This record gives sequence, structure tokens and C-alpha cells, in this order.
Amino acid sequence: MLLRASGEKEGLDYNVTAITDRSKESGVAHGELLTALAEQTVGGDWSALRGTLETAKAAMGGQQAVDVLVVASAFNGITRVADATGIPLDENTAATTGSLRESVGLNDFAYEVKSARFD
Amino acid sequence: MYADTLPLSDELREAHDRALKKIVRPGPSWTGAERRAMVESARSATNCSYCAARKSALSPSHVSGEHEDATDLPAVVVDAIHRIRTDPGRLTRSWFDEVTAAIGQPAYVELVSVVNTSVIIDTLHSALDQPLPSLPEAEPGDPTQAATGDVVDAGAWVPITRAARDMADTGLPAVPNILRAMGLVPEAVALFFSTFRPHYSLKDIKLSISQAQAELVASRVSAWNECFY
Repeated sequence: MLLRASGEKEGLDYNVTAITDRSKESGVAHGELLTALAEQTVGGDWSALRGTLETAKAAMGGQQAVDVLVVASAFNGITRVADATGIPLDENTAATTGSLRESVGLNDFAYEVKSARFD
Repeated sequence: MYADTLPLSDELREAHDRALKKIVRPGPSWTGAERRAMVESARSATNCSYCAARKSALSPSHVSGEHEDATDLPAVVVDAIHRIRTDPGRLTRSWFDEVTAAIGQPAYVELVSVVNTSVIIDTLHSALDQPLPSLPEAEPGDPTQAATGDVVDAGAWVPITRAARDMADTGLPAVPNILRAMGLVPEAVALFFSTFRPHYSLKDIKLSISQAQAELVASRVSAWNECFY
């Protein structure tokens, strides 16, 4: 949702369905590399990450490539805080992103859906 | 800690160093030794065969077994730590209720903070091909039994920080629910977010990548971890 907000601020229309569908282009600069770095970081695929990081350093520069890992590592922690405490969406997010969450597939991660599937 | 040659800010390096020192001090519900053991347990989880089998099962409840864990923490605590570390996207309310019936909500919130602070630190070390940092020796002393925070039932599994719902220009409340989530234990909020803050901000991010690039990474990580929030 914040990706969409960033696009609105920049006057750009990012494709947020790329968040869950790797076949889609986000429209964000170096989006494919960012996604690969994020996935390999949180998936613990360290050997693949070594190679992707070198590619990213060549494409984006060393500082930017490392900063992608800085963000990914933070969200690897904070998503667990959210999941472990069962916090609801903020009211405005819930009210304004219903169809977006449905189209991106995020509603599959709702707590009641998880309870029905995994309890 | 990190090699000097890595392009990381002093703020981030110092935050991680401070966090590890805070973790090994007594907290509101746990001793320093127990909090230190939580980090060791979280590290064990990444190589735990039982966790790997459970992660690959259609439902975590379909697999039974025993965790590979080097600590002497109670079994319910070890299981909670391993679940949060290795399979956070499939935590459920009934699982939460079972864990908190055994240890209580304040102790659980403190555990969530300690474990996930270490997740941030350890993930970045591993991603940068750095050895995981050594943990300082635990400081002696009983749990501090510090007062719980001013909280309210807002529909989360735990009561969360009472806060005004004023909106910020990010499209989120000035105090979004994620900042309120561990409000039952103020020390837990301070530990986690003092570690998180040098990594990200909701606007005017102080990194070399753009806000949109940071949001794409954040969103992809959230989706990978099957995080609803």
C-alpha cells in the first residue's frame, strides 16, 4: 500500500500486483533485482544472494545494493512482530485498499483465513 | 559485528551493538540469561529439522516431533520461538492463546521483541556474509517487573498502545498499529524499534535507495512471510 502511495507522490503508477506475482513488472527502478535480493535475504538463500548482490552492485552501485539488504532485514523482523501479535490493518488502510488487497492476493494472509486453514 | 569496510551507517552499527547489550539484561518478565537464550534458540531454529519438516507440511499441525535446540528454555517457549522464527505466516489465534495461557501476555510480548530484534540483526549479518555476532554474557538479576504500558483492546491478539488516531501525510495514522503492537511492554517497543529505526522510515528515507524502492522491498518481504498487516 505504501508502494502505491510512493507512486502517487512521485506522479507514477507502480504496478503493485508485482508484489505477489513475479511475472509482473512493478515499474520501480531495478525492481527485478530488488525483488530477488529481498526474496533471497528472507529465504536464507545465501549462495544465490552472493551472486545477485554482485549483479546488483554492478547495476545499482554498492551502497544501494547493501541498502536493499538493510530494508529487507528490517522487514524480516517487523513482519514477525505483526504476525505474532495479530494486529489489524490501520483503519484507513482497511477502508481504502479492499479491492487492491483482493487483487494482489493479500487477503489470503488474513488471520481468519489462516485459522481456517492451519488450526 | 560488521566489517568496517561495509557501507553501513554508524547509527545502524551502534543500534545493533546496543540492542545486543540490552537483550542480555533482565527484562520485565525474563532474566538476562533467558533473553540471551531466546536469541540462541532463534538461531537454532534456522537449522532445526522439525521446523523444516513443519514448514514444508500443508499445515504445521500435521507434523509432530522435537525441536533441535541447545537452550534449557521451557518447551512451550522454545516452540514459540521456533514458530516465530521459521514459520511466522502460519501463526494463528488459537496457537497464540495456547502459548499465552502458559507464559502470559507480557512475557510473550517481551519474547516477540527479543526474538525479532535478533532476526533483524542476524538477517543482515547473514545477508552480508558476516558471521553472526557473539552475544555478550548475560547480566545477573531478576526480571525487573516493570509496569505494563497504557493499552487498549483494538482487535489485535494483544492489547496495544492507546494512541490518538490522527492521520499522518503517509496515509497511515500518526501512530500506526505496528508501532502499537508491543505496547503492553514498553521495554519491548524500545528494544525493537531502536534497532529497526536506522533501517527504514515511512517517508524521507535516509538510505541511498528511493522510498519507492524501499517500499517494493518491504512489500515483497511481507508477501514472502505471508504477513497480512
